[in-house]
Amino acid sequence: MTPAATEPHVYADLDVLRQTWSSKPGLFGWLSSINHQEIGRRYILTAFIFLLLGGFEALLMRLQLAKPENTFLSAGRYNQVFTLHGTTMMFLFAVPVMEGMGIYLVPLMVGTRNVAFPRLNAFGYWMYLAGGLFLYGCAFFNMVPDAGWFSYPPLSGPQFSPGKGVDAWAQMITFTEISALCVAVELVVTILRMRAPGMSLNRIPMFCWSMLVQSFMIIFAMPAVMIASTVFLLNDRTLGTHFVNPAEGGNPLLYQHVFWFFGHPEVYIIFLPALGMVSSILETHTRRQIFGYPALVLSLVGNGLIAFGLWVHHMFATGLPQIGEAYFTATSMMIAITSGVQIFCWLATLWSGRLRVTTAVHFVFGFIFIFVMGGMTGVMLASIPLDLQAHDTFFVVAHFHYVLIGGALFPLFGGFHYWFPKFTGRMIDERLGRLSFWLLFVGFNATFFPMHWLGMLGMTRRVYTYVPGLGWDRANMAATIGAFIILLGGLIFIANALRSRGSGARAENDPWEGSTLEWEAGSPPAPYNFPNLPVVTSRTALWTPVAERSIVVGLREDRREILISNVLDAEPHHRSVQPRPSLWPLLTAFGFSIGLAGSIFAFFWYYVASVLGMIGLIGWFWPNRPLEVDP
Amino acid sequence: MSERRTLDVSGLPPYEISNQAPLFWGQVLMCLIEGTLLCMLIATYFYLRLGIDVWPGPGVHPPGLTLSSWALIPLVASCVGSYLASEAAKKDSRSGMLLGMGLNLSLAVIFLVLRALDWNSLNFTWASDAHGSIVWTILFLHSYDIVADILMTAVLIVIVASGRYGPRQRIGVHVDSVLWYFLVGIWIPLYGVVYWAPRLIGASR
Ligand code: HEM
Repeated sequence: MTPAATEPHVYADLDVLRQTWSSKPGLFGWLSSINHQEIGRRYILTAFIFLLLGGFEALLMRLQLAKPENTFLSAGRYNQVFTLHGTTMMFLFAVPVMEGMGIYLVPLMVGTRNVAFPRLNAFGYWMYLAGGLFLYGCAFFNMVPDAGWFSYPPLSGPQFSPGKGVDAWAQMITFTEISALCVAVELVVTILRMRAPGMSLNRIPMFCWSMLVQSFMIIFAMPAVMIASTVFLLNDRTLGTHFVNPAEGGNPLLYQHVFWFFGHPEVYIIFLPALGMVSSILETHTRRQIFGYPALVLSLVGNGLIAFGLWVHHMFATGLPQIGEAYFTATSMMIAITSGVQIFCWLATLWSGRLRVTTAVHFVFGFIFIFVMGGMTGVMLASIPLDLQAHDTFFVVAHFHYVLIGGALFPLFGGFHYWFPKFTGRMIDERLGRLSFWLLFVGFNATFFPMHWLGMLGMTRRVYTYVPGLGWDRANMAATIGAFIILLGGLIFIANALRSRGSGARAENDPWEGSTLEWEAGSPPAPYNFPNLPVVTSRTALWTPVAERSIVVGLREDRREILISNVLDAEPHHRSVQPRPSLWPLLTAFGFSIGLAGSIFAFFWYYVASVLGMIGLIGWFWPNRPLEVDP
Repeated sequence: MSERRTLDVSGLPPYEISNQAPLFWGQVLMCLIEGTLLCMLIATYFYLRLGIDVWPGPGVHPPGLTLSSWALIPLVASCVGSYLASEAAKKDSRSGMLLGMGLNLSLAVIFLVLRALDWNSLNFTWASDAHGSIVWTILFLHSYDIVADILMTAVLIVIVASGRYGPRQRIGVHVDSVLWYFLVGIWIPLYGVVYWAPRLIGASR
């Protein structure tokens, strides 16, 4: 190969590469794009819009609860609002936003050009979007779910939840789970088979490890929720099956078991990528290799395994046999060990590194503080006597917001500031960044700390109002004020992102002197990510001097060729050609969506989904001329 | 401008039709997902059974053994077709692929016909009781997968027969076989649960 160097250190014809890897222009190109950066950005943006919606619903609830006997929301409306809030936050914001970060970052971090199955990736996004539109579309037509984000039968059953709201909820799950499963499959294959030569298992960046474990968790957990929501709940409601109907041999507890077999791993599905972000931020900002890499990886995997063994701690109050419950207390406390190991590794990294304090690091500190608090209340709740007192009170609401917001949202915001230059090619403003951090941090604690107190005083969750004189008034008012401080912090965050995107200082490829490969790509990266794929010689790939690093040559540039490597040592194994952009993923998703949406009205629509989906898949896989892989 | 050290990969094969192909890995993960789903249904079956005295309830006949057991023969035999097809795909033998997939398709259709006859003999529906609900769910989901894979095989036959295929479609043939092995393999425990469990653990305790 003759080095056609158009740029220093580049042995590739960039014009041809760009031509090959770019999406088509215009609306058609936008709809048919299968580029991981574009799709990752879409996931993140869409998820943030749902965060705003969920946040708006949270404010409605806080306004209602601000003072006793308030009449801002009726009881029925309050039920709908907390259900929409929980559902939106869990299914339409938290999981998809993490998937979006993974889709964007993983191919860059492992040093390849795209995810393993780019069309599946596009399909997954469209399914997610359709699911979100479906839920809110139904809400618009007054089919609003109101049985909580886990919709326990019999409350959610045909008898107590007439109307179509719960059906819409159940089928929305199917949309988002299909999407999450698509992402999981393609990320596992990307991480296991498409790493840059030399990136053996013990050199995979922590964020990729966390996405790998998370993806496997999705693969084992998500089928359970589809069974709970579609097979049990929806079929009992619409087809007359009897899974949760005790009169005919069914059992409502079955639903709880299967739901939480998914539901508990779900919170780790949200939380593990956040841990990966923390490790990435800390490694770069302390300018030292992350402390205890093997311990961190093992505890990630440990977290992933143990998370499947604790679901019953959500059901302590159901009267299950004590001896069985004791086992789940033990596992619940065990997960504090693997989480604790990680916290200590980060502390050691901080201790021994040369810390540069940026907004991202502020968010990491916020995370450590808040998450440790949430972890403590978690260990408390794992003990059955305490749980029986605190179950379904605001103590639990406080606990899970501490772990969800502290454990996932703060690292996510940190990661957002950290990778902002990569996403946009601009630096994000530090002053506004810190301001938004402090507002979010103070607002968060003002909102949720009093809720511990309220729970101890006996305020149950999901109540739309309370009487004066119980000693709850002041804490509730504080929580509402806190929520508005959060709002302010959020608005400043959005303003900062928009402003910096338009007029921030131009970012170099590697503004933070990062350790992982994404910082070698352009800011924002070219559609082919790297002119020549990198070769990795150490765990902190970019901290190895350039003279000691090689680059890959010999991949064809006139078609979408990538390198497949071995699982263990990432030895190059063969080349592989990826498909071109296509409208079919969108059309297939459209066909499935129509059928799934109709299925809450009649079973017949499943056949519509199947037929349209099949047509879509045939179009998707139909060989186009010229055949793409002629040797 | 300094020279960079390079790693030349142009000598590596441009595609791979084997268990090393990314598509194979994707398919295995999809099978893992579907397998998890079906295993959860098995767990559901036994969980529901625990809560009931006699299983299935009075007046309900356990699903019949004859047709369902005979149907196993064409089902297992159809894997031979899949095997031939995927070996032929590796060697790029068009006639071999057509033969293998054709064999697979015909035996799979025979299996489906036997299954349909078997369904006719069931004296309960999904709305009869919890036993009916779980049995029909298992049968329906597995049949749905089978039909989907049969259609996929049919499409591949058309593609291969028309000659419009390259390495990517040959990987497709291989992966189609992998999916089929999974669907056959998972049916064995499901068959045991649906047809034998009521006989072995159905009596009142
Ligand atoms: C932005 C600030 C937020 C505020 C002020 C807030 C506030 C609340 C309130 C007041 C409730 C209902 C309490 C009740 O009456 O039972 C609630 C429930 C809930 N929140 Fe949040 N929340 C916020 C963010 C989040 C986030 C980011 C997540 C998830 C990632 C989340 C997940 C949930 C869930 C799952 C529920 C339970 C819903 C149910 O009971 O079905 N929240 N939140």
